[in-house]
Amino acid sequence: MNFLLPAHNLEKWLKRLAAWAKIFYSFTENGKAHTIRYNPDNFISPDFKNIRTAENIKHFFFPSRGVVARFPTVLDLRPEPIVIMGVKNCDLRGVDVFDRVFLHWQPVDDLYKIRRENTIIISSDCPEPMETCFCNFVGLKPYPEGIADLNITLVKSGYLIEVFSKRGEDLVHADSDLFEEVKDGFVDEREDTRRRALERLDGINKNRINDKIPGLVEKASKNKIRDARDDCVECFSCLHCCPTCYCFLLSDYKRGDDIERIRTWDACYYAAYARVGGGANPRSRIDERFWNRFQCKFNYFYQYERIFACSGCGRCFSGCSAKIDIREVLSKL
Amino acid sequence: MNPYAPKLTKIKKIIEETPTIRTFVLEGKPIEFEAGQFAELTVPGVGEAPFTPSSSPYAPDLEFTIMKVGRVTRALFELKEGEIIGVRGPFGKPYPLNDFKKKDVFIVGGGVGFAPLRSLFLALIENIKEYKKIYIRYGARTPKDIVYKYLIPGWQKIKNVDILLTVDVGDEEWKGRVGVVTTILDEIPVDVKTTPAIVCGPPLMMKFTTQRLVEAGFKDSNIYLSMEKNMSCGIGKCNHCRVGKFYVCKDGPVLTWKDVKDIEDPFL
Ligand SMILES: Cc1cc2nc3c(=O)[nH]c(=O)nc-3n(C[C@H](O)[C@H](O)[C@H](O)COP(=O)(O)OP(=O)(O)OC[C@H]3O[C@@H](n4cnc5c(N)ncnc54)[C@H](O)[C@@H]3O)c2cc1C
Ligand code: SF4
Ligand code: SF4
Ligand code: FES
Repeated sequence: MNFLLPAHNLEKWLKRLAAWAKIFYSFTENGKAHTIRYNPDNFISPDFKNIRTAENIKHFFFPSRGVVARFPTVLDLRPEPIVIMGVKNCDLRGVDVFDRVFLHWQPVDDLYKIRRENTIIISSDCPEPMETCFCNFVGLKPYPEGIADLNITLVKSGYLIEVFSKRGEDLVHADSDLFEEVKDGFVDEREDTRRRALERLDGINKNRINDKIPGLVEKASKNKIRDARDDCVECFSCLHCCPTCYCFLLSDYKRGDDIERIRTWDACYYAAYARVGGGANPRSRIDERFWNRFQCKFNYFYQYERIFACSGCGRCFSGCSAKIDIREVLSKL
Repeated sequence: MNPYAPKLTKIKKIIEETPTIRTFVLEGKPIEFEAGQFAELTVPGVGEAPFTPSSSPYAPDLEFTIMKVGRVTRALFELKEGEIIGVRGPFGKPYPLNDFKKKDVFIVGGGVGFAPLRSLFLALIENIKEYKKIYIRYGARTPKDIVYKYLIPGWQKIKNVDILLTVDVGDEEWKGRVGVVTTILDEIPVDVKTTPAIVCGPPLMMKFTTQRLVEAGFKDSNIYLSMEKNMSCGIGKCNHCRVGKFYVCKDGPVLTWKDVKDIEDPFL
């Protein structure tokens, strides 16, 4: 189901949505896409053409530090409704991975569930993939095909909106005066943009090894993966900026008469990550941990779910001091 | 139900097993479990660590036998009878007791590794007629380090139970075997083709015991190993406990040698 949001109606729509939800959307600053909170008094135009934002979407469902339990008083979490606009398909892979781990795998993580249920995701196409993009390498397209509630494609007359979920449909119906019927030609225009985006992405990542990755990673000689670590300066920004990494650590703090159990993002590259009581450590060396990360993303997770725990977003090497490109590591296997 | 929130209860009794190992008996029975499953214990304000109950799943009380090794266990040893403690669980898979029926069961433990094995043993003797004979082979560093000393003589009197102990280093009073636990695995009085072997102990002990059992002819899929890995969530989400593709908290904590033999240093 498709609708057209004429360009001049976007700001009106944002204003209406802001009456009941916090709105976040993507905009561009110095060529880079970022996420910003909608502020009617200081309106900055959204940009849905750019690639994924520098910020990683998991913050919304899985804050870098958050209370997951309180006792003896029971934790009562009531998140506010949120609408995020301009989410790219690679970040939807992040959401997909988190949904599988925190909603589908038992037991359900109620904290994730309640945040997820209160967040509406409006995704958008990537008409112009960049050098760092390799969603096609991990089985994705540079445009969403689901997971979000609505999707936006830029067309000449405005925003072509595709409905993915009931929630998304309700959202359009609630403000139906802002939307128009889709005319012939809009969908063709979208197909055209998408074809060009795919071609561009193919040019960027010529050697697509998609289906073979799990087998290659499983059988890879450890040295081949380990060699890549030589340049690593151990800042581990690659893991904290990754939308598909879901490792965390629980720790307890006293707060008044209560104890709060805090969940913080963790990363498998930290030396203490796998250390056990008394000090023994199965992955005491960084090369073991490097190896483990590749197995986790491209072999083990694939074995469970038949998708990679990698989205092709390229954040890990965009932010890497040593510019270790995960594509290069994989292609050398 | 919030899977991260512990149930709070009190410590009913503390039993001093050895200078570094204590058994904590909890009040009420905050969780039900089957032998082999584990729980996360919370020391209020300090944090959590995973432990396997050492009591029978059929018993009215819940007990844990714990060695003092680091931050959380040190804080646990500071707690007194009557103080508050938190429990989250049960987690992981139980021992497949149905597969053990009509067979001998060969249990090998080292040090505080007797804790989960005691729970298994007590569950087995609850229905002892279902099994052929239950063997326990247990090693501790010195006679002082043997846990459940006050219970073992009673267990040795049970028909179809065969218990053999050894210590690495003896003392004047010790009349039993001396040597690491593998030295009492030279004689294996069971049919190795069909018997399950259940092993729990420190990493080196696990490694050499497994080697010995494989040499003796036990099937890889019949060697059950308690994997001690770093844990945080206990519910298969945080990733800390992973060994190969397995989540020890969800697929384990007991895995078979068949599961882990291709993993480099699985016991480290
Ligand atoms: C399934 C299972 C069952 C077990 N059953 C038993 C049992 O029945 N009896 C028994 O005695 N032991 C048992 N153990 C071992 C027991 O869990 C460890 O001895 C215990 O976790 C040690 O905790 P500690 O804090 O005292 O030790 P530490 O050595 O201080 O810490 C243990 C781990 O926690 C990490 N850590 C320490 N401090 C922090 C911090 N501030 N923040 C984040 N991480 C930190 C360390 O890196 C280390 O990896 C079992 C283990 C498992 C996995
Ligand atoms: S990786 Fe693909 S989906 Fe992500 S921003 Fe680039 S083109 Fe878009
Ligand atoms: S591993 Fe790198 S490219 Fe893959 S999802 Fe994480 S940050 Fe993006
Ligand atoms: S302890 Fe968190 S995944 Fe196993």
